[in-house]
Amino acid sequence: MAQSSLDVLLKGSSGRNTRGLLRVIILCTIAAAAVASRLFSVIRFESIIHEFDPWFNFRATKYLIENGFYSFWDWFDDRTWHPLGRVTGGTLYPGLMVTSGVIYHILRFLTIPVDIRNVCVLLAPGFSGLTALAMYFLTCEMSTSPSAGLLAAAFMGITPGYISRSVAGSYDNEAIAIFLLVFTFFLWIKAVKNGSIMWGALTALFYGYMVSAWGGYVFITNLIPLHVFVLICMGRYSTRVYISYTTWYALGTLGSMQIPFVGFLPIRNSDHMSALGIFGLLQLVAFAEFVRAYLPGKQFQKLLTAMVLLTVGLAFSGLVLLSLTGVIAPWSGRFYSLWDTGYAKVHIPIIASVSEHQPTAWPAFFFDLNFLIWLFPAGVFMCFQKLKDEHVFVVIYSVLASYFAGVMVRLMLTLTPIVCVAAALALSAILDNFLVASSPTPESKAKANVEDSKSLRSTRNPVVGIYSYFSKSVVACSVTLYLLLFVAHCTWVTSNAYSSPSVVLASKLPDGSQFIIDDYREAYYWLRQNTPDNAKIMSWWDYGYQIGGMADRPTLVDNNTWNNTHIATVGKAMSSREEVSYPILRQHDVDYVLVVFGGLLGYSGDDLNKFLWMVRIAEGIWPDEVKERDFFTARGEYRVDEEATPAMKNSLMYKMSYHNYQSLFPSGQAVDRVRGTKLPTESPQLNTLEEAFTSENWIVRLYKVKDLDNLGRDHSNAVAFDKGLKRKRTAKKKGPRVLRTE
Amino acid sequence: MRWCLALLICCFLAAVNALSSSGSRLLAVLEDTEQKSLYSTLWADLEARGYDVSIESPKSEQLSLFKHGERAYDHLLILPPKSKGLGPSLTPKHILDFMNKDGNILLALSGKSSTSSAVSSLLLELDIHLADDRSAVVVDHFNYDTLSSAEKHDVLVLPRPGPLRPDVKAFFDGEGVLALPRVAPQTLGSHSTLVVPVLKAPATAYSYNPKEEMPAAEDILATGSQLNIVSAMQARNSARFTVLGSVESLEDKWFSASVKTPRGEKTSTVNREFAKQLTGWAFKETGVLKVDKVEHHLATEGAELNPSIYRIKNETVYNIEVSEYVFDKWVPFEVPGEDELQLEFTMLSPFHRLTLQPTSRTETGTVFSTKFVTPDQHGIFSFRVNYKRPFFTNIEEKHEVTVRHFAHDEYPRSWAISGGWVWIAGLWSVIGGFLAFVVVWLYSAPVADKLKKTQ
Repeated sequence: MAQSSLDVLLKGSSGRNTRGLLRVIILCTIAAAAVASRLFSVIRFESIIHEFDPWFNFRATKYLIENGFYSFWDWFDDRTWHPLGRVTGGTLYPGLMVTSGVIYHILRFLTIPVDIRNVCVLLAPGFSGLTALAMYFLTCEMSTSPSAGLLAAAFMGITPGYISRSVAGSYDNEAIAIFLLVFTFFLWIKAVKNGSIMWGALTALFYGYMVSAWGGYVFITNLIPLHVFVLICMGRYSTRVYISYTTWYALGTLGSMQIPFVGFLPIRNSDHMSALGIFGLLQLVAFAEFVRAYLPGKQFQKLLTAMVLLTVGLAFSGLVLLSLTGVIAPWSGRFYSLWDTGYAKVHIPIIASVSEHQPTAWPAFFFDLNFLIWLFPAGVFMCFQKLKDEHVFVVIYSVLASYFAGVMVRLMLTLTPIVCVAAALALSAILDNFLVASSPTPESKAKANVEDSKSLRSTRNPVVGIYSYFSKSVVACSVTLYLLLFVAHCTWVTSNAYSSPSVVLASKLPDGSQFIIDDYREAYYWLRQNTPDNAKIMSWWDYGYQIGGMADRPTLVDNNTWNNTHIATVGKAMSSREEVSYPILRQHDVDYVLVVFGGLLGYSGDDLNKFLWMVRIAEGIWPDEVKERDFFTARGEYRVDEEATPAMKNSLMYKMSYHNYQSLFPSGQAVDRVRGTKLPTESPQLNTLEEAFTSENWIVRLYKVKDLDNLGRDHSNAVAFDKGLKRKRTAKKKGPRVLRTE
Repeated sequence: MRWCLALLICCFLAAVNALSSSGSRLLAVLEDTEQKSLYSTLWADLEARGYDVSIESPKSEQLSLFKHGERAYDHLLILPPKSKGLGPSLTPKHILDFMNKDGNILLALSGKSSTSSAVSSLLLELDIHLADDRSAVVVDHFNYDTLSSAEKHDVLVLPRPGPLRPDVKAFFDGEGVLALPRVAPQTLGSHSTLVVPVLKAPATAYSYNPKEEMPAAEDILATGSQLNIVSAMQARNSARFTVLGSVESLEDKWFSASVKTPRGEKTSTVNREFAKQLTGWAFKETGVLKVDKVEHHLATEGAELNPSIYRIKNETVYNIEVSEYVFDKWVPFEVPGEDELQLEFTMLSPFHRLTLQPTSRTETGTVFSTKFVTPDQHGIFSFRVNYKRPFFTNIEEKHEVTVRHFAHDEYPRSWAISGGWVWIAGLWSVIGGFLAFVVVWLYSAPVADKLKKTQ
């Protein structure tokens, strides 16, 4: 009885429905798991925006909610980059803010009272569920096996490579961009397969959305043309490709040009030239196909060669000419640094100073992708076996993304989707073969061989079968084990590595209890409550967004880094003597200076450890005034103790970091726990700044910039007078007296 | 709102006292109370002008410049002590703190006895220098009083000083001559921009220590007009510090003495008038400027007053109303001779530096204004009026405004730009051409059997 009822469920049309229902349930569960595994930080800490960039996005979203779309579009932000300001509305990717704004308004419309902060915090987990879904669709296009899609969705849902950028609170562009990336690729594959204008237009639509959300859209802009180019080279030109590509390019380019930050880049920037070039090439190929239908073979050959030579020559010289005259912008620095990993360090220190722009360390691949990384080549190999249009896409994508992920840590993110696809293809092939209880029959094998004998041997699908239950169970068990390990690894990595808000630091006390270090917020709230509303805060650019978001005070530089000179100015102020720095501070109306100092706690991400970058960036603009060499001792060491160089000891950053630090220790025993050195007995003397606030663990130190001395003295003289030191009468000057002329 | 309040307070202040713009509590520090009678005319004059003069000895126990952390007096007049210092409650540190809290000080020196080292080190902080041995006297063999110092030539007879420069208002000029007995000379350092000479010694004067038998030629402090008889220092907060080289010139005796120069006639001195001018300036009865209100707005009709944001290339109007205090009332300020009141529109450095023209005049103030177009550069700018002149209190007005870029709907429309017509024509011709093509395509279907043949 039970047998028959199961048959009713599993066979025929109701069986199909059951499987469909199961698939929906599984997908929903995957989405739920994807969301749930990203909530560690909310549960451990609180619903808080993480890190640096998200604080800007959060602030921008609040501005959008408060002032409406058009004033957001025209937003001139006078609270950053003082006194230059920033045309924020025209220099950001608005997709993220608009998305959460729309969600917020929909929820309000449904009378659900929700705080915009919670929308922002939970946006990334929510979209990761959607990404899993999009992954399912994409993989289903690649494989006939129904399990591949589900596996890919599950992988995408929990792989750390993606979680690293999408935990709750990580309110960054990538939060929605990865979903858009995967979904755009799905639509593109669909368009190429069907040759339909509708799918092409949908691709363009989502491409436009992607452009509005993340600068990484350039990846799509180059990958799709490359796919088409490879297809043409393989002789696979078809009207399907023509229709889908031209639709996508025309509509997608128009769409992307609507974003003010992108503007005319698609037709002026070298990064976008490949898409334009392929568009032109496709027209030529289509024309050649058209002509071929009307001309005899030999004449056509001649015409074709002539045409190809002519157009290639014309296009190339045109490109060179336009590049030289500057109509087409040259390749951007970030682009060069993709090919030469040493380029940034030499030419654009500002890019190299960001840790996520460093080349990836090899263990990171395993750390972020676990066993997917070794299934990945297998999956790519299987794509070679079938090699339909969509498989070509997978192959190109994997090659490019692997390279980029090796060059820059943050591009691991673009590699992750394709790894999931390829690994799912490989694993589903294994499972499909080994999890089948019945053995294959020899007839089907023979039949398959006959069918395939006409095609190439390499593409012929050898029919193999597993007959032994032992090998089936061994493989099934080990795969299950790997999958379980994968889940355990993902959970562990997410919980330990990627769920820290970095605004709040957590450490363990000796008895195992958690100890929260909340110095950043302590200092930012001090600023918020104790300084005038427009007090200008100078800090290194890392903290700009946080000061803007949490302390709500104008800053000189922030993580946007659009103006290298301004950042170098701050670097110069930090790395010069007080006498040099003070006029800079005055000129920029600085009221407070913020430094991060980890010496007491052993917090290694402090400003003194970043100090060399400040020096380097300042040196890039003022090579005569700031020299990196001066900060190293004669033996080439970077020291902060007694033997530190004079340039180091007199720099504002050094003085601010160690001001009064010695008073915490018995005399002569001051120790810096980050650099692990003993410090000089004397605390450095600050004349032009005065300490305003130091947080509990001394991580954040704030200094107030003194006004000019009321009586027109030097600050050093004024401080000496206040200390009760008697000024020496200026000794007999040599040379003639300086007379006053009134 | 803020200037309304300021105006109110000013009205209130004007009602309360009829003299100095910054309070009437004057402390005179005098070592010997017997000497008080020497200066009776001075005290009477000061009290007649509304000051509450309290005279204390520097040794007094209850003497303190501050009470509960606030100034106990508004002005301080220090007559030269005989002893080494000014006592524990008048250390240089206290005196500088008094200045930092807007107190005004008039310090009188005397060439009769050597100046105390505390005073000397106080003056050194202000970049005013005394002779090394602190007991020099200015001697002039051409401009001395033949009646009282026929031998020593140490009573100088000088006219009152004119304007320091053509662009500086003269506060101490007038007819008549001054008698300045036994002047302790000061020289001004070349570093500080805050010190100015009020009365310089004539070119023929030199400083000389009468106690030394033979003056060493190299040790001469300075000569001629480098020597100052009266010098002034105005701190950044406009607190005033005045040094008078000859305390005796304030005595009753010299207020109405008759003097005779080697060349001239016998005349009576105008020391009393000069004392009024000098104390008046030192205690902020003259030369005090006040900004009554600052207004800036767009040059269009009915524009919002003092907006916090402008756009690039906006035409903007800036008005500032300035009054000057003259002894007992506020009068409209007039920019002296060759000087100009200027407005800067700055971001890091001035983009505009414009002369403010007087446009209208109220009962107590002059309105200066200018009109300009904001530069083609967005950013956080400030309207800055930085008027710092000798003898006038400082005006430093800084108003921060944001200058934004064009919003998306503030550019001219495409059809309004004649250069865009080519592109618009191109656009519509493509659309028209496409439509025409579609129509032709739809209505020019080939005959069915012909089509079959070609295929």
